[in-house]
Amino acid sequence: MNVDEPVIHTHDVLIIGGGLTGLRAALSVFYAGLDGAVLSKVHPLRSHSVAAQGGMNASLANVPGEGSVPDSWEMHAYDTVKGSDYLADQDAVALMCREASATVRELEHMGMVWSRLDSGRIAQRPFGGAGFPRTCYAADRTGHNALHTLYQQVIARQIPVYEEFFATSLIVADGRCTGCTAIEIMTGKMHGFSARATLLATGGFGRVYSRSTNALINTGDGQALAFVAGAPLKDMEFVQFHPTSLFGTNILITEGARGEGGMLLNREGERFMERYAPESLDLAPRDVVARAIETEIAEGRGFEGGYVHLDLRHLGADRIRERLPGIRQIAIDFAGVDPIEEPVPIQPGQHYAMGGIDVGLDGAASLPGLYAAGECACISVHGANRLGGNSLLETVVFGRLVADAIVRDLPQYTVPQGDDAERAVSREDRRIDDILKKRGGEKAFSVKKELKDIMFSRFGIFRNAGDMEAGLTAITRLQDRFRTVSLSNSERGVNQALVRYLELEGMLILAEVVARGALARKESRGSHTRADYPKRDDDRFLAHTIASMSERGIEISFRPVSLGMFSPKERAY
Amino acid sequence: MRLKVFRHRQGMSEPRYDTFEMEAAPGMTVLSALFKIQEEFDDSLAFRYSCRGAVCGSCAMLINKVPRLACRTQLMPLLAGEQEISLSGYPAIGGPVSWDPKEDVLVEPLPHLPVICDLVVDMTRFFAFYRDIDPVFSPLDPDPEKERLMDPSDVRELELYTNCILCGACFAACPVDAKNPRFSGPAALASLYRFCIDPREGRRIERLKTADTPDGWWGCEFHANCRQVCPRGVPPIVAIGQARQEIKKQRKEGEEM
Repeated sequence: MNVDEPVIHTHDVLIIGGGLTGLRAALSVFYAGLDGAVLSKVHPLRSHSVAAQGGMNASLANVPGEGSVPDSWEMHAYDTVKGSDYLADQDAVALMCREASATVRELEHMGMVWSRLDSGRIAQRPFGGAGFPRTCYAADRTGHNALHTLYQQVIARQIPVYEEFFATSLIVADGRCTGCTAIEIMTGKMHGFSARATLLATGGFGRVYSRSTNALINTGDGQALAFVAGAPLKDMEFVQFHPTSLFGTNILITEGARGEGGMLLNREGERFMERYAPESLDLAPRDVVARAIETEIAEGRGFEGGYVHLDLRHLGADRIRERLPGIRQIAIDFAGVDPIEEPVPIQPGQHYAMGGIDVGLDGAASLPGLYAAGECACISVHGANRLGGNSLLETVVFGRLVADAIVRDLPQYTVPQGDDAERAVSREDRRIDDILKKRGGEKAFSVKKELKDIMFSRFGIFRNAGDMEAGLTAITRLQDRFRTVSLSNSERGVNQALVRYLELEGMLILAEVVARGALARKESRGSHTRADYPKRDDDRFLAHTIASMSERGIEISFRPVSLGMFSPKERAY
Repeated sequence: MRLKVFRHRQGMSEPRYDTFEMEAAPGMTVLSALFKIQEEFDDSLAFRYSCRGAVCGSCAMLINKVPRLACRTQLMPLLAGEQEISLSGYPAIGGPVSWDPKEDVLVEPLPHLPVICDLVVDMTRFFAFYRDIDPVFSPLDPDPEKERLMDPSDVRELELYTNCILCGACFAACPVDAKNPRFSGPAALASLYRFCIDPREGRRIERLKTADTPDGWWGCEFHANCRQVCPRGVPPIVAIGQARQEIKKQRKEGEEM
């Protein structure tokens, strides 16, 4: 036997990504009696889902609201659509909100530990932009508890997990996606994965930005894989900046901290949200609060270095210890501040990508055989601004529903025939060899650092045409410079510089898509705020931005939003 | 200051230590120092990372001979001698490497696990012990329409153990794991105990008995290193102690019947 013979793994369904979406999807594929496998560039428990703090929205109505009407999925949908600045597709929102309570309960039935009320029911807390205390939580470790629970379910069923495999390309044959190639990071060997259907569940691309709350692994690999393979991306200019990331490291300080009563204060000790959102104050949606903080800093009412204070002291030591233990530990470990004694220094940081791979209500991308769910996808439940507590919800709801759709569709996808996987493996093997042979040129690190700084300064919270044009030019220059980048490490096995190189290649493409979308959208909506077009323009832009790759480069077009339940109104908090 | 880093990759006859000079800025962590080395000096240095916020469990390594998360361990307090943890010592963790704790930070892979490359170890054995305790919720009753009710105080006790991030720091710090390759280790036992005290769980007693063996609850020698090194404050030693008490109680009740 030739030792260099390509290794091809065959499965009915290949799931790329081992976070909440990927693991939940794997269970559905298993329940259907099909052969599914998960492939992830890290051990599944190291996925960014584990870092989600605040919670998962569902209209359980375990905690009464202020009025006499109990919470309902329709009100959850209304808050979500209003929060999205009316860009979310309302059929997708309805689906998610209707499935929310069952999803929270399903996790509970799998053994997940949720925080509880004295009545024994699942506890719920107020979150930004929500009309009810709707966010179910597990202290400030909701993602951790959910991910460990799903991982336990997956290993109990012995579902195969290819750990520390980095997907380098999607295999496309006769206009259909039939799997992927992936490099086994620890050995450097290229493997082929041949599948009837492929689900991308790879998370966000926060690390394209310099200040990000995201894990270091969130480099948008799935979006880049899909885009290069010919699947369009949607609404990529909508990037959420979380108002409260820790000054210095930009580690997330959950919105739950304000849900529990935390207040934002400027250098003068003023509760400045009174001026920006007189009704909702600190619990206005994230885009509103992030803009308010940036404005305070820009107008000289922030602290030296560019931050404001999040004050939790009035909550008292007991409540902080019980409800926000992780936050307290983070503030102590990473800023040397104990929130029981001192206010926490915070600044906005990139947090979430509302946009992603363009998929329909069933999670299918335009490339047959390819599906996407979770943050890497844009089924459009978040529109122009996501509400806190809706992303964890999206991961588990659509991990399940999209896997169910794949199971339904699978009979139309035959087992891939021929040697497409073998040929893809040889092609990718040569590509890796060529990268490792490159010499001279600059280090990947300097290109990456510049890219991140450009994205934060030109495509951040406040945008305008001049800055963005300059930013786009700078991005295309970086793409040129990237061609000369070389690595010193020429080993195949355990070459993290190679993985970082492949990530950066995709990040440079995604950055350009964000830039072109942001320039084309001449309005302000949700997270996308343009000084030169300060108003929302429903006549021209109540529409999704679709970016596709053509021979002429990246092209932008628009597609109408799916309305139906709620008509667009002015958004006030 | 200097970062003294363990290096080994396939093909090398024996490991070596590389020393990197750098300025320790306030707040700089061991993880950010490793990135600085990888990005600016030597891109072949290998280490695991993900969240950089002490929640994912990727970056546990031996720092100044103590298993810690690289992302939450800062250089300056280490050099100032402020983060000393006194472990119940044993050879695997106290191997003969010289370093000056005022000038150097010593970074090595977790012990008891095979080194794949530099600071990356093969966690297979660690996760095998986790799988062996069958860490899957199994209620006896069918799922109710809504959630099963739980008392908030039960949740508080459970959280002590569900907080485990499976980073392997305790496993690496445990002198029993160093000498007994069959001992389940603190993380797996703490995870098992989590199911033994979950009021919703259907097989609590049965589960308690699965580790009623010399390599389970009874393997622990109460060095308490696990509790000291856990970055999430999980106390496996408490779980093990309580499990033993419970088993003794069960046996006594069995005899009296």
